[in-house]
Amino acid sequence: MIAPAVGVLFDGFAYGMLLFLLSVGLSVTLGMMNFVNLAHGSFAMVGAYVAVSLMGLGWPFFATLPCAFLVAGVISVGFERTLFRRVYRASDLQQVLLTIGLAFISVAAAAWFYGTMQQPVRLPVYLRTYATFMGINFSIYRLFLIAVALAVTGLLVGALDYTRFGAQVRAAVDNQRMAQGLGVDVDTVFAITFALGSGLAGLGGALAIEIVGLDPNFTFTYLIYVLIVVAVGGLGSIRGSLLAAILLGVSDAAGKYYVPTLGAFLIYLVMVSLLLWRPSGLFGRR
Amino acid sequence: MAETLLALDDVRAGYGESVVLDGISLELAEGGSLAVLGRNGVGKTTLLLTIMGFTRVVSGSMRWRGRDIGRVAPHRRARLGIGWVAQEREIFASLTVEENLTVAARAGRWDVPAVYRLFPRLAERRRNMGSHLSGGEQQMLAIARALTTNPALLLLDEPLEGLAPIIVEELAEAIGRMMAEEGTAVVLVEQHTDVALSLARDAVVIERGAIALRGSSRTMMADQSSLDRLIGLNLTAADDRGR
Repeated sequence: MIAPAVGVLFDGFAYGMLLFLLSVGLSVTLGMMNFVNLAHGSFAMVGAYVAVSLMGLGWPFFATLPCAFLVAGVISVGFERTLFRRVYRASDLQQVLLTIGLAFISVAAAAWFYGTMQQPVRLPVYLRTYATFMGINFSIYRLFLIAVALAVTGLLVGALDYTRFGAQVRAAVDNQRMAQGLGVDVDTVFAITFALGSGLAGLGGALAIEIVGLDPNFTFTYLIYVLIVVAVGGLGSIRGSLLAAILLGVSDAAGKYYVPTLGAFLIYLVMVSLLLWRPSGLFGRR
Repeated sequence: MAETLLALDDVRAGYGESVVLDGISLELAEGGSLAVLGRNGVGKTTLLLTIMGFTRVVSGSMRWRGRDIGRVAPHRRARLGIGWVAQEREIFASLTVEENLTVAARAGRWDVPAVYRLFPRLAERRRNMGSHLSGGEQQMLAIARALTTNPALLLLDEPLEGLAPIIVEELAEAIGRMMAEEGTAVVLVEQHTDVALSLARDAVVIERGAIALRGSSRTMMADQSSLDRLIGLNLTAADDRGR
């Protein structure tokens, strides 16, 4: 009785951590610049394909992770500087059209280069084993995933709460015009934040392959979950995203285990009820 | 004659299609001070926003220490030495008081201890979040925050608005001390005409986006009939709000 519950909690928590990595960047950039970036899932997919490609070249799994982060971050900032910044002052609809168009292009590009089949991921043997504690099996990979996500959260919250750059990011989220009026270069602050957020999505994408697989539809499948996390957590809130991601991860795992007929639908019920309770999200301010 | 710090020449500016400022020319010397008076909605705040670069300038030119800044981005103007205290204070709510002071600070005479000496109340509240302050404290923080950028010119947009009389006195005294001791130039938009005229050396009265009256504060203080005509209604309005 207890063991399955602990197992479900553990799996759900690990899944939530993955959702957090995938979505935290979008939450911050949406909250900061009101920029609706539906191509966020594409940067996650870029990270995933970078990891797969490098492993195909014989790179060890761990070495591919920083590359997934870097490549996704650099590509995203390229798009930000050349394309996205042109539509910051445009309507939401125009932003949606541009970024969803890019998301479709990324799906087609992935299918062209890699085909539509699932990509294999070759994890080191020790990551594929289980640790047994009090009779319950814990996947080493999921433990690793949780550790990475917690470390990232710690670094992110630390950087945001205790550095001047973090204060500038928060100031720009609070009041962009005032931040500019005091001499904060909001454009650059945003570009760096955008790159970091997309980089984390790329890292999340690489880590996600083992759990959920990878094919070109990854972009849209995870875009939906990412948007749910951001909406439930509240725009611009890292803590909100973390809590929302864990809640959704656990309810998804619990739904699939205890109410298989509802299955993956439970996550939407949770979203609807949370948003009815707090329309601007758990930690939302507007 | 001290050197010219800021010069506006026939500036027409506004938002989108609408033009609010209709040909404003003014000059401010290093260390000078200018009170900007006028009724609500005549363009006083727009003037400050235009100096900061937040409006659309239709024509005219703006010079900072002789350099054309008409196309300079707002954050670069701030870095050139223009400090802005916005009308709504616009304290960063998710930053602590101290973070509000350090987030945009630039090296100079006004560091955090120095602004705490000017506004001791802020030192007591340094760990509070920006959102958990009284109106007077928020105003002090807004001024202190602009000071930590060590500006050569401070733009103050109705710093005394809506504050209790005792706080008005405290703030006016701090502003006066800051101008006298540091030689910071000030453009002061204010509804409290008497306080503004006693703080600033020169004054302009704006009406419908243009300067209707200009002169030294002393002569303007004596010209009660013009003041009554141009801003008379406002005095009573400001008084009502003060209570």
